[in-house]
Amino acid sequence: MLTYVLKRIGQTVLTAFLATATVFVLLRMAPGDPAANYAPPNPTSEQLAAIREQFGLDRSIPVQFVTFLQHLFQGDVGTSFFFKRPALEVVMERLPYTITLAVAAIVVTAVVAIPLGVWMARRADTAKELGSNIATIAGQSMPDFWIGFVLLILFAVQLGWFEPAGFTSASSIVLPTVTIAILQVALISRLVRREMVVNLASPYLTVARSRGISERALTWRYAFGNSAIPVVTALGTRFAAMLNGVVIVEVVFKWPGVGELVVNALKQRDFPLIQATVLVTVVLALVVQLLVDLLYPLMDPRVRLGEASS
Amino acid sequence: MTTSTNLPGHPQVPNLSEVPGSILGRDSAVTKVLLRRSAAARRARYSTIKIWVGAICAGLVVVPVALAQLLPLPDPIIGQLSESSLPPFSAGHLFGTDPNGRDLLSRVLHGGQTSLVIGVLAIFVSGLVGIVAGAAAGYFGGWVDTIVSRLLEAQMSLPLLLMLLLVVALFGPSIPVITLVIAFAQWPEPARITRALVLVEREKPYVAAARVLGLHRISIITRHLIPNILQQVLVVVLLLLAQAVLLESALSFLGAGVQRPYPTWGGIISDGRELFVTGKWWLVTIPGIVIALLVVGVNLVGDGLRDRVRRAKGDQ
Repeated sequence: MLTYVLKRIGQTVLTAFLATATVFVLLRMAPGDPAANYAPPNPTSEQLAAIREQFGLDRSIPVQFVTFLQHLFQGDVGTSFFFKRPALEVVMERLPYTITLAVAAIVVTAVVAIPLGVWMARRADTAKELGSNIATIAGQSMPDFWIGFVLLILFAVQLGWFEPAGFTSASSIVLPTVTIAILQVALISRLVRREMVVNLASPYLTVARSRGISERALTWRYAFGNSAIPVVTALGTRFAAMLNGVVIVEVVFKWPGVGELVVNALKQRDFPLIQATVLVTVVLALVVQLLVDLLYPLMDPRVRLGEASS
Repeated sequence: MTTSTNLPGHPQVPNLSEVPGSILGRDSAVTKVLLRRSAAARRARYSTIKIWVGAICAGLVVVPVALAQLLPLPDPIIGQLSESSLPPFSAGHLFGTDPNGRDLLSRVLHGGQTSLVIGVLAIFVSGLVGIVAGAAAGYFGGWVDTIVSRLLEAQMSLPLLLMLLLVVALFGPSIPVITLVIAFAQWPEPARITRALVLVEREKPYVAAARVLGLHRISIITRHLIPNILQQVLVVVLLLLAQAVLLESALSFLGAGVQRPYPTWGGIISDGRELFVTGKWWLVTIPGIVIALLVVGVNLVGDGLRDRVRRAKGDQ
């Protein structure tokens, strides 16, 4: 068990390193001089050179990378060009907003998608189910930024129920959460249905039914209990992906999370900030994945027992 | 299919209901109505409904988009300022116009050509790469499988959208670059399903027979394995078209799409987003409905086909 966790942590470090290194090199290969964004208007070439030297961009890419690694091992990810503060600090300020949004979205998704999926599985291939089946397909077919805009037009501009953008009050979270949840509910409920249809048709369920176990217990304790692992895995993967930045939704709602931060940083060519964001979000996403994997033995006795015998 | 006991034009077939002692003499308890209501028949019917509804939705978008040059439409790039910001259903402008006086219908249809070309090319590339990589990993196993599987895993844990934005910034937002970027984002899915299917298929007797006959490994894969799994993989690739169109519009929305003034669906929505506050809702809403209609259509056709293929293959 311990070796497994250590191995996974090792993989996490490796993946985070690779992701950051890729972004590091790509950023420096991209056209456009970051110095120009931070120089006074109509800069002289001396001014530009001075800024480049200040940012450490005058050296060759390998040298920059080695310096970056040296600082990284000292826990220093660099100073944001734009904010003139440690990049890690800026990311950490924004992170709670993204985490809040991701948690809200995943909770809503689980609460809606699981009962919906179970309902669809129990009524599989009936006319009613065909309706909700097509509805879930429609749910995963709309561009998420477009859903966001339509919700904004309807509920913020026309009805005036919510603030149109940013984080101003607790109710600001409603529209971004709904926007994310529409797509995720569509995906997860279809997964729940797929898993449940298999389990509801399995022989062990017939045996249990012949022993007079109630339909409710058959559905939830027997069939859903055995569908839980893939469903929780999918929810975990989705949650981890959201931490990588629900970029588009954050941009639409001007939500002050890391996704919005990184898109702006990309426009301003704020290299250290982009690197810090990638590093933090990748590590966080991998940690969530690891935690989900560690949940398996709690959910499924077969995993527990398999481990005990080996 | 229910069989008729009375075939017209075949008088030599005795009517079984008139044969004395035949169990078919009485009406079966399983009536045609019951048969039609049975789960299997319903499932078949519903997948047909899905395919047709999907084909109609997709066709409503694809046909006008394909014919955009032939239709009598105003120019999508040069507008008439005297006709700016007209609401939908105005004279001559079914979808209305934008503040530059450009006809929205014309922009949406011309933009659709770019979006669809990118989508189709992208799934072609990602499908090809995915099938080759997946088949190689599944059939050869060993280090080939290790490399492909590790690549698949690594890609899952990367912040994909950010990487795509970076690559587009690096190579410029041209159609080939955006196509390849989308293909790169999508190759894991066909690769994974091809690998899984090949793993099952390679253990079947016909593969052993082909091997005994001395066929080269490459021709076993291309002539024997792939034809047997292609149907299932192509359904997945078709579903990727829906994802590709969505991804292209998302990239355009974030400013990494084909550049203005050429319209693309994401770009049109992105241009309209600052304007909906002032009441010009159609600039955002209508292009989105068009995207959703196409993607719903493709998804429904793909889903219906997947049900059918699965049934034909005998699982589920």
